[in-house]
Amino acid sequence: MLAVDAAPNPWFDPSYVIDNWDTILRYLGEHVRLTVSAVVLGALIALPLALLARNARFLAGPVLALSTLIYTIPSLAMFAFIFPFTGLSTTTVLIGLVAYSLVILVRNFLAGLQGVPADVREAARGMGYGPLRLFWQIDLPLALPAFMAGLRIATVSTVALVTVGVLVGHGGLGQLITGGFNANFYRAEIVTGAVGCVLLALIADLLLAGVERLVTPWARVVRP
Amino acid sequence: MRARITFFAPLVVAVALTAACGESGSSGTGGDKTDSTAASGDTCAPVPGDKLVVLEDDQHLQNADNVIPAVNTKAADAQAALLPALNAVSGVLTTDDLVEMNAAVDVERKTAPDVAAAWVEKSGVTDGLEKGSGPIAVGDAGFTESTVLANVYVDVLKAAGFDASVRVVGRRELYLKALTEGKEIQVFPEYLATVTEFLEGDEANQVASGDVDATLEALQPLAAKAGQLLELEDTTASLTFGDPSQAVDQNAFAVTTAFADKVGVKTLSELADACGDGSLVLGGPAECPKRPFCQPGLEDTYGLKFGSFKEYGDTGGPLTKAAIQKGEVSMGLVFSSDGALAQ
Repeated sequence: MLAVDAAPNPWFDPSYVIDNWDTILRYLGEHVRLTVSAVVLGALIALPLALLARNARFLAGPVLALSTLIYTIPSLAMFAFIFPFTGLSTTTVLIGLVAYSLVILVRNFLAGLQGVPADVREAARGMGYGPLRLFWQIDLPLALPAFMAGLRIATVSTVALVTVGVLVGHGGLGQLITGGFNANFYRAEIVTGAVGCVLLALIADLLLAGVERLVTPWARVVRP
Repeated sequence: MRARITFFAPLVVAVALTAACGESGSSGTGGDKTDSTAASGDTCAPVPGDKLVVLEDDQHLQNADNVIPAVNTKAADAQAALLPALNAVSGVLTTDDLVEMNAAVDVERKTAPDVAAAWVEKSGVTDGLEKGSGPIAVGDAGFTESTVLANVYVDVLKAAGFDASVRVVGRRELYLKALTEGKEIQVFPEYLATVTEFLEGDEANQVASGDVDATLEALQPLAAKAGQLLELEDTTASLTFGDPSQAVDQNAFAVTTAFADKVGVKTLSELADACGDGSLVLGGPAECPKRPFCQPGLEDTYGLKFGSFKEYGDTGGPLTKAAIQKGEVSMGLVFSSDGALAQ
């Protein structure tokens, strides 16, 4: 087809993975670091926001609207906005990912908190529970399934979203996907990046499902 | 949602493209069907063939997108040896070199650092370079040619004593700011006309042209106030450009060598003389019939007459190239440094 000898271009090529193992690991590491930091930071920001929205009802609408609004900002615009402060660093991507994760986390955290029956909280307060103890011993256990559901969705979504970091050269496995497109459709490279993302999302979801079982032992009790 | 759409849209496109690519590969070599050349009115009908050749743009319709080193001004001033080392690359790099290196990566699947190192070795650019020192980061925009050129720059800078490294960056909207600030990257293999138009900013006002010297002249004042144009905090920050090389990556029009031999043409002017009968079929992206660098430019600048236009959505990608090879179009829009043009 061409004057130079074209190397075969299979979809799956173990030799690509072996030859580029160091590069793949480096991008995988970046992908995992970005995902974990984004979800952890996102959760730390989303929890106070959800508590605020639950306690002051008139704030619930604006808080949810704001987190949804942020999600609609195109990633290039988002990065261009953050760029003057953080440059071409992973922090630029991380801030974007945290902002995008809020739409899922705030909504699920709030739904979990609102699902705690009012009479249960009333009874606890009557027994002399302070606000901290009320949250720790009543709200948190009862809202935990909704919290974990939110974390799982946010994690899987963030694994996919990390790839937009390609815009500043920190897209984790996304670097392989776009790199493959840009190198005359190097299928092995594209598939390695794409399959890597899917596997990472699956593994992360399974791990979180395991954590969920561990922290909610009562959910496994077989009812008579 | 936008974030996900921008990620998945290229995926969908690519799946469509690669699927089509497989088809073309299986039927690409079977084209020994001879065209009937006797009848008048089909002098310039498509001729299938495996090898592609670009017709020379002898009237300079296309912008001068010569490879040119872009350097942060502070870094260039602090290191006297920096710009001369990069200019040494510009002095010897040709479009044929780009085509060869792109083919080595995109077609033969060698790695970009290996290909770049081999070229640096063979070209002898590192002989007699002034010596510099200190860390220098060269930006790489993440497509084959950019990666290869960044590695070429890094190899040459290492030979000149610098502690040089490649740093993968993404879009020009962001990396050009970083380059002008000079903290994260200090050197970038840019394209003359594209970077000139980008700095100038106004799409309606074309300051770049097919003339290398005129475009460079337009670029210098823009580069001097890059910090201001890019709205950086430090408005005094600026860019310094080295010498433009002979190597060009611009829109180009390719035919099969079989077509070029049959019609007897090497340039677009010759093509216009030979193909007045409306049998020429042009292939290109959907916007080609409207863009001055494509069909209207060819018609106005060269007086070419096209019988028909066929649309290929991948702008110089595998679909367009396969269409030329299979004889669906006489001539198609490609990029002048495409690896498929390797002879």
